Amino acid sequence: MVKTAAKKKKKNVSSEVLRQRLKLKHLEAKNKFSEKYPDVEKFLKEKGVQLEDVRKHSAKIIGAGAITGTILLTPPGDAQILPAPNEIIEKLKDQGRVEGVDTPQKLLVDTLASVLPNEIRSLTRSEEKFLEQLFQNILGVNARATLEGEHLNTTFGRIGAEQHLRRYPGDVLINHGSGDVLTEGIAPGLGAWGYFAQSKTAFTPDLEETERWYAVVQTLYLPDWNTRQPYLRGWYKYRKVLIVNTDNGNAVVASIADSGPAAWTGKHFGGSPEVMDYLGGPRYKKGPVILFFVDDPENNVPLGPVEYNKLNLPEGALHEI
Amino acid sequence: MSKVYYDHLIVLDDIEKKIKKIAQTQEEREELWQLVDDIIHHRVLACVLDNLPKDNHKEFLGMFHEAPHSLNLMDYLKERIKENIEELIKQEIGGLASELLKDLQERE
Repeated sequence: MVKTAAKKKKKNVSSEVLRQRLKLKHLEAKNKFSEKYPDVEKFLKEKGVQLEDVRKHSAKIIGAGAITGTILLTPPGDAQILPAPNEIIEKLKDQGRVEGVDTPQKLLVDTLASVLPNEIRSLTRSEEKFLEQLFQNILGVNARATLEGEHLNTTFGRIGAEQHLRRYPGDVLINHGSGDVLTEGIAPGLGAWGYFAQSKTAFTPDLEETERWYAVVQTLYLPDWNTRQPYLRGWYKYRKVLIVNTDNGNAVVASIADSGPAAWTGKHFGGSPEVMDYLGGPRYKKGPVILFFVDDPENNVPLGPVEYNKLNLPEGALHEI
Repeated sequence: MSKVYYDHLIVLDDIEKKIKKIAQTQEEREELWQLVDDIIHHRVLACVLDNLPKDNHKEFLGMFHEAPHSLNLMDYLKERIKENIEELIKQEIGGLASELLKDLQERE
């Protein structure tokens, strides 16, 4: 008898089955922990924290620490009072690390390298203020870490590649362009704000740009996300953000159109295929970035690449812009 | 940053992608992500306490409560645990990842 070469492909479970399985696994982990370490559970309970809420607890502490500059909460040497951007740039020039004045992208990358911590962590307010000035001076974009009192849990983190989002009922991948930007595919579900338009006829060029240059941020982990609804949901919908690749200085203005990624992916933000392509090229899947809100009350800042330089860096950068 | 001190050891991209495929809505997706997150917290803390001398438990938990994100926690553990605690956590999460991948597929 001839064996068939075809392998039986295992199917994914339904969301309800997965939910039940995960709940069971969660319960098992929780019970096992409680039985083995009842005192620990009691200790955390007395402190008003459950392990399930540890991320929100962490976000509150970091937020408070960033404002007050509490030394306890940041490793020694991390908190620093930074001079103005032009002073740092002059210093770098004196050290021969920046040559001439005709390479703003190199200037940006060198300055970022000199002020950002080696390890990804949340930035202090003074570091964020410094970067706001730097981006204004070099990129010409008025970007803010805190805008209208809102601040993400982090402004310095890793961005990961996302898929295209369905923009209206019946939308398919092939409608999203051609070439490399189709490689990531289209997400099976909708973005956090649903369809961009309720029908193809209601779909406008502005909305097309919104999806093309979309960003993903972890609104789900904001400590006040559940208590300040529906305000926050409205505030974040299509909010413009400036994303700067700290390795090569490529920068793009994007709009927030989805929530994520999950905290256990090692990523903090996501970018549409076009965003990722511009930030680092067609093979760029993950990397460190700064992400600030764009202060643009009159909607004058276009979505897409921030073209502030004629040529990219020879190393690390994959685009000519 | 909404983080805990062992986040850098946990990269479960495949699980996230599969959940995205399976979840019907954003609410469902986030609920499933949260369940995975909760399981990770319990498993990692159990792994840490299993290996940390009992005399240090209270001090460690106090530090964890005050700054769950601080990498000083990892330094603290490295100083007091003979084995490579980062590797132990990675192994624990690796095992969990295999279990989760099975959960994501239909059983025959």
